[in-house]
Amino acid sequence: MTRRHLAFALAVLVITLTALAAVTYGQSGEYKIGVLEPLTGPLAGEGKRHLEGFEIVRDMINERGGVMGKKLAFVVADAPDPTAAATEATRLATREGVKIITGTFSSRLCGAASEAASRQNVIYWETSCVDPRFNKRGLKSVYRTEIDATGFGWYNVEFIAKHLAPRFGKKPNELKIAFLSEDSSYGQGVTESARQRAKQEFGMQEVGSVEYYKFDTINDFTPVIVKLKQAQPDVLHHIAHTNDSILFWRQAKEQNLQVKALVHAGATGYGSPDFGKAHGNDANGVFALLEPGPGFRVEALKPDGQKIEKEFRDAVQKRTGSYPAGGHQLAGGGLWLLKVVLDRARSDDPDKFRDAVMSLDLPAGSMINGWGVKFSAEGQNSNERVQHYMLQWQNGELGTVWPEEFTTKRAKWIPLGAWDQRK
Amino acid sequence: MDPAGRLGPAQIDVLAQLSVSTVLLGSIYALVAVGLTLIFGIMRVVNFAHGEFLMLGMYLAFWSFTLWSIDPWFMLLIAIPLFFGVGLLTYVLVMRGVIHASHNVQIFTTVGLSTALQNVALVLWTGDYHVFRPWHSGVIVRLAGTAFNLSQVVAFVISVALTIALFAFMKWTHTGRVMRATAQDGEAATLMGIDTDRVYRLTFAIGIACVGVAGVLVSPLYAAYPQAGLQFVLLAYVVVVLGGLGDMVGAMLGSLIVAAVEVGGSYVFGAAWKEVLYFLLFIGVLVFRPAGLFGQRGAETLGV
Amino acid sequence: MTRLAPDRLAALLLFAAAAATPLVVRDIFILDSVILILLWGSLSAAWNVAGGYAGQVSLGHAAFFGIGAYAAALMSARYAQSPWLGLAVGVLLSIGAGALIGYLSNRLRGPYFALSTIAFAEVLKIVASRWRGFTAGSEGVPVAFRPGFWTLGLGHVAWLYLILVVALLCYGLQVFLERSRVGYQLAGVREDEDAAEALGIATRRRKVQAVVLSAALTSMCGSLWAQYVGFVDPVHVFSIDLSVRFALNSIIGGMGTALGPFLGSVLITSLETYLRATFSGLKAGFSGIYLIIYGVVLILIVRFAPEGLTGIAGRFRAWRMRAHA
Repeated sequence: MTRRHLAFALAVLVITLTALAAVTYGQSGEYKIGVLEPLTGPLAGEGKRHLEGFEIVRDMINERGGVMGKKLAFVVADAPDPTAAATEATRLATREGVKIITGTFSSRLCGAASEAASRQNVIYWETSCVDPRFNKRGLKSVYRTEIDATGFGWYNVEFIAKHLAPRFGKKPNELKIAFLSEDSSYGQGVTESARQRAKQEFGMQEVGSVEYYKFDTINDFTPVIVKLKQAQPDVLHHIAHTNDSILFWRQAKEQNLQVKALVHAGATGYGSPDFGKAHGNDANGVFALLEPGPGFRVEALKPDGQKIEKEFRDAVQKRTGSYPAGGHQLAGGGLWLLKVVLDRARSDDPDKFRDAVMSLDLPAGSMINGWGVKFSAEGQNSNERVQHYMLQWQNGELGTVWPEEFTTKRAKWIPLGAWDQRK
Repeated sequence: MDPAGRLGPAQIDVLAQLSVSTVLLGSIYALVAVGLTLIFGIMRVVNFAHGEFLMLGMYLAFWSFTLWSIDPWFMLLIAIPLFFGVGLLTYVLVMRGVIHASHNVQIFTTVGLSTALQNVALVLWTGDYHVFRPWHSGVIVRLAGTAFNLSQVVAFVISVALTIALFAFMKWTHTGRVMRATAQDGEAATLMGIDTDRVYRLTFAIGIACVGVAGVLVSPLYAAYPQAGLQFVLLAYVVVVLGGLGDMVGAMLGSLIVAAVEVGGSYVFGAAWKEVLYFLLFIGVLVFRPAGLFGQRGAETLGV
Repeated sequence: MTRLAPDRLAALLLFAAAAATPLVVRDIFILDSVILILLWGSLSAAWNVAGGYAGQVSLGHAAFFGIGAYAAALMSARYAQSPWLGLAVGVLLSIGAGALIGYLSNRLRGPYFALSTIAFAEVLKIVASRWRGFTAGSEGVPVAFRPGFWTLGLGHVAWLYLILVVALLCYGLQVFLERSRVGYQLAGVREDEDAAEALGIATRRRKVQAVVLSAALTSMCGSLWAQYVGFVDPVHVFSIDLSVRFALNSIIGGMGTALGPFLGSVLITSLETYLRATFSGLKAGFSGIYLIIYGVVLILIVRFAPEGLTGIAGRFRAWRMRAHA
């Protein structure tokens, strides 16, 4: 070991520290916020869609003069895992100097990211993750615009009990329901909340035991399908990621699994455009709880809401060539709501911001996605204002079918019937 | 549900369906494992990037079908030489430099390769899930109360054919014997005049060709996405260890066992536990029969 | 007066630089980076005890990391006790798990051992995901920040010094292993196990001891990590990516040397942080580029510096000696 070794080690140290010291400067006249999304890793597909939604609405906001008199600009960071989420949130807050961080799509990431943001006294504006404990940590500058897993489960069971059960000729407590779910924070959260409401509020009969699986290693659903055939549920509540929903549905058709309805929630899995592309008309009949899809009656919104919803849809169509996907809508809706708050607060000071957030009270139908706004003291936008919709795959299109006052389309194939009969 | 124990027609149907699925699933695993058992068996390299070549095979099939309407069964013929070439290229560019280095260095080389390949796919083709449906993926075969997919049947047939072909190659051709000799004792092989570098190159190329073919064959059945390799790679290692390194028939049998544990285990305990079951089996086999269920005793210490 | 060997001097300078950082720099991002460098470095040093010094290359050390992380998180979130208590519990549990892995290391060699450790971590991952009643299952455990030392609710400067102490401990243990009789025996086991056994070294016992020590240290760091980041997710804490990272830093820096893991951590952590900070914000769809670069750089480093950065020094000296011959 020589002195060269020393020099080398020092050189490595100096180089790497200098690298860390690299700074990006924004242009003046811009207001920067941090955008944290998983852009690599297993969640990259959805992360990209969220980023697109953010960018589209940012452009809409800037056409109206931006926020607080400045153009809205993003500092984007990739958060493939919780440690990276925490580090990048810290970097955005300190090195990039943003006062507001938004994101993060996944329940795996939002806990760590919001924790790091709070420690830097930066506002954290979550637009998607569903972990129910997110708002219960007593963090004063952490907000969520989207409902949590409990809300998802609530809406799904509401639809099953009030819309599907009567059309099967059954009372909710006569309904047999089976639960299948991908095993991640999202799947578990939504499934368990749905199970709870189904049993406790409606007395639905859970048949078979709830099945969880890891979506990144599932290669064959045959055992699950065989057991479902034995249990004979009326409704299958399946929360899926995308590759597993594609696989399951193919095998369900091959093995002729007959259920009266399949209900999912969220922008991945059955709610993803990839599912429709994969199965074409075989996807007919599947339900997914999401933001509004085609058929949505913009006229059912309030006048302000109509205007902004039309503009949003046109912008997404222009950029992606199709109707907004769930990811676009969650991110876009959340960012628009941020603008509304900043317009009222005229400041990013955490206390003034919080006052503005708490003072907002707009009915459902006022904004993108037909949302309203009313935050709880814990920073959660309430279930009743964040209207969610049940969509159904109908001949290659995932259209809105419920609640019926919001849409021109109606649900078909209730019950699903034979596989080759769903035209 | 019928009470356990009575073997009525319903139970037989269940058993039949589970068995058929086991065999078909096992054949897919065998396709992936056969290339790996060659690479791991002869070169003793833990190739972390093995799944990524499978993923590339899936994308190849997807794009050739989407852009030029080429059916994957035809694409197979092109995939074999193509992935053989890819294997050669990868060996020359990446593996050759570390072939004489320690195992750890080799492992981390393949880790870097795996990261790079996954993200090449991500940048080129995004994280969207790509599915295509050639005519045969919609053909449902119904046989005695069971149901499965024509694409699966063909994958099974080709898997068996490939295994037999490789087995014959390894056992009865000169090159095969040379490869086996190198696996047993690289130094002695060199002393015998064998060009071990050429052997490793050929092994790696054949191994990658196998897994690329596997990707093309399974593409009608699964979605293609950058991390698709992860669905198969760890269990491929389980298969390879169970079957004995470098043992073709062992790979096929090991695949069936892993598939059986998965399918049977999912049925009895629930889908959440299938990996736990085959990993515990894996650890058990490693502890009690490290040469694999079918390998020669003591073979596991060769070349390590 | 004995002069410090160059690598000891380098280590001293490294730790001194880390200690001096809060005095010189106010930027929290830099503090955060230094904390992570020291933390991953400590974890790699812990791995190195088993992997570098005893030759038992494990790719499943995330198992111990996860045990420690859950122990601390659950102790504070579920039982409202100090995470330090959780740390102690985690260490005890990891000693048990480490003994199990140590037993495996006595039956298996090389890549087989590595694969079995991967399997072990994967099993724990699934168990943690499904045990909703205890670990909150896949939803993970959020760790509330409560200011104070006993609740490990610290500011960045305090964290830095705490992790520095841990790093010094891990470094010191490695130095001890290098210079003690136990360490020499371990080296014997590593280089040629059969010969070592023939010499009368209790190879089996030594291997288990090395793995157990390694497990305990890893668990301790995992507990601290959980409190620092504030969220324990089963898929992340038991992930093979983390296991690979612990091994990677040591191998890049120089396996079986005390400085190696820390040097490797400096390089790899900085590289990854820098690449991500600079490139990940590019147009959506190009973020993967920084990981392609990372993967290629990894291949190159491992190819051209297979003995790690500390090995380069040896080669420089050999080159210099040849040039002067």
